[in-house]
Amino acid sequence: MPKHSLNPDKWVDKYADYLFNYAIVRVNDREIANDLVSETFLAGLNSKDNFLGKAKERTWLISILKRKIIDYYRKINSQKGQAEVRVNYKDEDNNGDWLEEQVADDFDRSAEDDMENEELRLAILECLNEINEKHAAIFKMKTIDGADTEAVCNEFNISPSNLWVIIHRARTALAACLEKKWF
Amino acid sequence: MPKKKFFLFDCPRAKSCCDKSQYRESKFKEKIKFLLHIIICGQCREYTSKNSKLSKLIQKAEIKKCTEAEKEAHRKKLREASSSNKNN
Repeated sequence: MPKHSLNPDKWVDKYADYLFNYAIVRVNDREIANDLVSETFLAGLNSKDNFLGKAKERTWLISILKRKIIDYYRKINSQKGQAEVRVNYKDEDNNGDWLEEQVADDFDRSAEDDMENEELRLAILECLNEINEKHAAIFKMKTIDGADTEAVCNEFNISPSNLWVIIHRARTALAACLEKKWF
Repeated sequence: MPKKKFFLFDCPRAKSCCDKSQYRESKFKEKIKFLLHIIICGQCREYTSKNSKLSKLIQKAEIKKCTEAEKEAHRKKLREASSSNKNN
């Protein structure tokens, strides 16, 4: 009997943010990242009969998204001239030493920092998927979107004291989950 | 475990104040009471430390979210694909 099953009706609510964060650091363009997420959902829906249930739903969707990202880069690199790296300034007003300006600043974030941040980002989103769905939605709106208490209360039709109880529970569950996954 | 009540602030209220502080929504008077409470209460001190660490991690992660319109577009595409699959 398969360990996991697919529930496409819940995909957008559960995995859209996770897949979007995975895609955007790789393509660095919001619109393209969203297109890739959409294509991933559609490919997942079309091949759901091939899902064996051995992997988690999220893992399966990520493996599809990885293929979509590879296909995207293959496509843009196959277009003649698109993959060419320009090392000159386009106009004379904007000149300088191109190579010197590209040298990494010591105080800039390193690639390791970016990788660590991405792992952390995905770990937080994984943990948010594991806690109570309503608590996670309220936590995201309050913490990630930075919405006002009043706006969150109106959106979810709850009182401010109720909001803080939910935030407390979400933060406690998230901290416990991150302790297992991150530290 | 019995609830501790130091300086008119018990542990649940101190923790709630700590949560509000993460969003800069605690009042000045509450903050003073909270600070007095955590001087004596080790349990709440530990909670505060973990809570601040969590806030820093979330800030560091720079999580991006799909907007509601983007999510709705995904839902629409999925619904359309799902209904066309059923028709075929």
